[in-house]
Amino acid sequence: MNKHFINVWAIPVAIAFVTIFGLLSSLLGTGIWHILSWIAMVIPLAIILRKIKG
Amino acid sequence: MPVPINIKRWFWVHRWTSLICTLFLLMLCLTGLPLIFEEELDQWLSKNPPYASLPKDTPMASLDDMVHIARQRYPSHVVSFVFVDDDEPQVRVNMLPNYDAAPNLSHSLQFDARTARLLKDEPPITQQSQTFTGLMLSLHRDLFMDLPGELFLGFMGLLFVFSIISGILLYGPYMKKLKFGAIRKDRSRRLKWLDLHNLLGIVTMVWLLVIGITGVFNELSTPLFGIWQQTDVKKMLQPYQGKRAPAPDEQSSPQTAFETAQKALPGMTVTSVVFPGFKFGSPYHYLLWTKGNTPLTSRLFSPVLVDARSGELSTVVKMPWYLRSLEVARPLHFGDYGGTPLKIIWALFDLAAIFVLISGIYLWFARRKSQEAYFLRTDTLST
Repeated sequence: MNKHFINVWAIPVAIAFVTIFGLLSSLLGTGIWHILSWIAMVIPLAIILRKIKG
Repeated sequence: MPVPINIKRWFWVHRWTSLICTLFLLMLCLTGLPLIFEEELDQWLSKNPPYASLPKDTPMASLDDMVHIARQRYPSHVVSFVFVDDDEPQVRVNMLPNYDAAPNLSHSLQFDARTARLLKDEPPITQQSQTFTGLMLSLHRDLFMDLPGELFLGFMGLLFVFSIISGILLYGPYMKKLKFGAIRKDRSRRLKWLDLHNLLGIVTMVWLLVIGITGVFNELSTPLFGIWQQTDVKKMLQPYQGKRAPAPDEQSSPQTAFETAQKALPGMTVTSVVFPGFKFGSPYHYLLWTKGNTPLTSRLFSPVLVDARSGELSTVVKMPWYLRSLEVARPLHFGDYGGTPLKIIWALFDLAAIFVLISGIYLWFARRKSQEAYFLRTDTLST
């Protein structure tokens, strides 16, 4: 596992896990889990917006 | 780290899988966008009067009464199945001229579930004017070509999945020298688009993969149900082989079947009653589709067979794993399982996907330059 690999993949892998959490928490839960799901799913979209503006 | 020869191979895979499927994927993204809000659009565009307001705990009227009214209206037609909505207080009695009639001759009578009052007598789909969401769905699901269209779009979806995977594999070597999310605006326009393509692609990759894979799965639903009918269902009906199917006047009532199933499975809701004789059921039984009451089990349907003569419970059918997976794939594709905010999120991801597709086409037009630059950079990096 070299430094390049971690540099390149740390953020994308973190976003992937956040998305998976968001997709599943609405499927398996209700109430608070829906809200957590919305927050999780908005994170990748917010990152895109920030990077485009940034 | 992959050596450049591998990168070249993945580049080739990415270009060709993308090129073949892109235009169809664009169509799917555009028609899918309004379909996310299908329920809201249909409600908004429909001219149906609202349901009569009755106390919330008003019990359901008898299905027998509704079926009786439907049969009186169409004495020569047969009832194929009755749909019991758990969302709205409606029951739909679906009829066909006979059990061998083409599915597009099916017509339905809508009843108020609490009063058994006939609300609407709808003609077959062929005599109805095409609705906007109906048109979008036909394009999205099968391009108006039924099974061949479903399989074709399923194959395009499969190519899309391969193009996402090859895209992810290309992302690593490409980003070696760049920080995450870097967009080189001051260089060429092509580099800017390349960076945007990479950013949006990698950030949405899980969503894209999930939608792609579940979409392919959905397109396979016709053959999957076919396999199930030819294997499990056939085996289940084997003991009845050769016996005479009950004539209409020998059949117990649909309401009895409904109550039997409801009693046998207390935690479940019956959503439809398939009549004996209809090809998607059994000649000897009422087939009732039931679903659970938790977020996940409300997506999982279990069929229950009730003997059409005696009105007694025959079997609670166990669904095979491939149909269970299909049932879970549905909400994950539609995005209809987390309220309106999730639908809006779905739409935004869909827009991001459209951008990835269009920027991909642009990059292909500028391909020669892009490819040379790409290999030049990875070559110098790996030596």
